[in-house]
Amino acid sequence: MANRALNLLRASTTVVPITTRRSSFLSPNIWSPRTVEVKQRRSKRSYSTSSLEPPDVSRLAETARISLSPEEVEEFGPKIRQVIDWFGKLQDVDLQSVEPAIRADTEGDNIRDDIPETFPNREAIIATIPNFEDSYIKVPKVLNKE
Amino acid sequence: MALTFFRGVQTRPLLSYPSIYFALRKHNVSYCNMQNTQLETTERQEGQLKGSTREIHSKPHDKLLKDFEAVIGIETHVQLSTQTKAFCSCPYNYGAAPNTSICPVCMGLPGALPVLNSKVIEAAVKVGLALNCSLSLDSKFDRKQYFYPDLPKGYQISQFDVPIASSGSLDVDLPVEYGGGHRRFGITRVHMEEDAGKLLHTGSGNYSQVDLNRAGVPLLEIVSEPDMRTGIEAAEYAAEIQRLVRYLDVSNGNMQEGSLRCDVNISVRPTGQQEFGTKVEIKNLNSFSSVSRAIDYEISRQVDLHTQGLADQIVQETRLWEEGSQKTITMRKKEGLADYRYFPEPDLPGVTLSEEYINSIGSSLPELPETKRRRYENMGLSMQDVLFLANDITVAKFFDATIAGGADVKLAANWIMGDIAAYMKNAKVSISDIKLSSEELCELIASIKGGTISGKMGKEILFELMAKGGTVKGLIKDKDLVQIVDPVEIEKIVDKVLADNPKQLEQYRGGKTKLQGFFAGQVMKESKGKANPKLLNQILLQKLNATS
Ligand SMILES: [Zn+2]
Repeated sequence: MANRALNLLRASTTVVPITTRRSSFLSPNIWSPRTVEVKQRRSKRSYSTSSLEPPDVSRLAETARISLSPEEVEEFGPKIRQVIDWFGKLQDVDLQSVEPAIRADTEGDNIRDDIPETFPNREAIIATIPNFEDSYIKVPKVLNKE
Repeated sequence: MALTFFRGVQTRPLLSYPSIYFALRKHNVSYCNMQNTQLETTERQEGQLKGSTREIHSKPHDKLLKDFEAVIGIETHVQLSTQTKAFCSCPYNYGAAPNTSICPVCMGLPGALPVLNSKVIEAAVKVGLALNCSLSLDSKFDRKQYFYPDLPKGYQISQFDVPIASSGSLDVDLPVEYGGGHRRFGITRVHMEEDAGKLLHTGSGNYSQVDLNRAGVPLLEIVSEPDMRTGIEAAEYAAEIQRLVRYLDVSNGNMQEGSLRCDVNISVRPTGQQEFGTKVEIKNLNSFSSVSRAIDYEISRQVDLHTQGLADQIVQETRLWEEGSQKTITMRKKEGLADYRYFPEPDLPGVTLSEEYINSIGSSLPELPETKRRRYENMGLSMQDVLFLANDITVAKFFDATIAGGADVKLAANWIMGDIAAYMKNAKVSISDIKLSSEELCELIASIKGGTISGKMGKEILFELMAKGGTVKGLIKDKDLVQIVDPVEIEKIVDKVLADNPKQLEQYRGGKTKLQGFFAGQVMKESKGKANPKLLNQILLQKLNATS
């Protein structure tokens, strides 16, 4: 359990777009150390994470659909805090004069034509479904979306 | 398609005010009587179409409603009729065997990457432009996280803070039966997203079944401003969205198949109050009349709670419309806003639109329903005719083609709305299914106007054309239907009839002038219905009144 939770928490850090494959919230020139340096010299603002909320581990676990024991909540709190603090450094970057970049620039369009293609190995996908019956995926009864 | 067309036409008179009776009665009765009263209303409503219930019971209800104002906004999900899903090449066909249109992308398997279907952007731009929106040259996709078995990835790819289109408007004409009137409703935003799979709840047993064919199918979500005040306005807004997507050919707009889904947000506040009342969301509305009836029911429910001093019992929640009981029931209470933990979709690049692209789509847009209605109105057609003809794109195209061929506008409208519509309704077919072409209707109208055939013969030919096809000229020839317009020939027939009926002729000349009709009928019969009626009567009268 603890391992799974840790993996999940680790995975959730990839959620912050800086680390993702194709894009970044910040335009490249801002991310470059040089810019950051210049900025720090100018503002002399000390690094602080006070602007970020401390993590509510119980709630995080609930939204991620994992159960944690009180001991685990205790244990993970400081660790998550550490990760957040690390990312909190980004709060210090002065973005005043920077146009927000919605997405990172990509070379050319990555879109496709509307031409159907049936995936050849659907049986393999079906085979991995734990509970498949009468052409349907069988799941525990659910009536209300949360 | 055929059925849909008629549903579209028929829903108008079906829109009714079921809650009125309910509202006025419930005032004095206890809560548990509610159901009976409501059932009674339902039964009444089946038999009484149009506004009859409204006329009878409107006064106390209107008075009640005058003290309150409903604020209504609609979220519409439009399923795009693309060949493939939004982010993978799986084909989508409604009604396909369950779980056959799946691949690693739409099943959310690790490592699979989405690639956007270009048709989705095209459809979004079309709809955005048609709704007079501003388009975002740079928008993006976001992940909306929630856990539900119909969503294999655990998140829905949607657009959150930067929708592709925003700040637009939609013009509607309210049905004539409800007093008519033109309205303009604001459009907050249009965004692209993917659909979830289908979840089926088995009657017995403690499990549900999932079909993921629909997972990943492209949707446009269109959000209106809270500009509507009545069920009729809301139903007409929804009908206009359906018309719009059908005119634009981006969706079949079929509500029964779920290609067009409306969620209604509604709150009630005392008239004059600035802030909105508590907002309730209504789901499960699968026809325009259910949109209208659910809203009227909900207004009554909330107004009653207000007037009974129980306004605090109105809570922010989602309610389901139950067609059977004609009521809304609690589905779930909302505790604050759901936390979807939106963040930018890292697997997809941003969506960039160039001015050229937008302009090229803009210049290829067809004439939109509103423009068409105004054009028909300017042709001198009545509002009833305008709304009928513009309601269905296929009917409008047929009408346009007929008048483009030179047919008289009013005559073409009359034929289409009269005999042709009746035939389609009877045979349950759409105008594109009948064998009559607009060219032949044009020819038919010209043949009657030019006197080649009578209106009665025209009708006869019309039904043959619709059922079997063929040409007007061919049928006139085959059936030997050419009208007799030669006075000499008609005179011959009249003479024969007079000679054959000496007794009646004597009676006529003795003062029983009503017999003129008898003679006219006999002449028509003798001519096999081909005598020109005007000439016939002229000559007949001359002969009858001629003193021999
Ligand atoms: Zn797929």
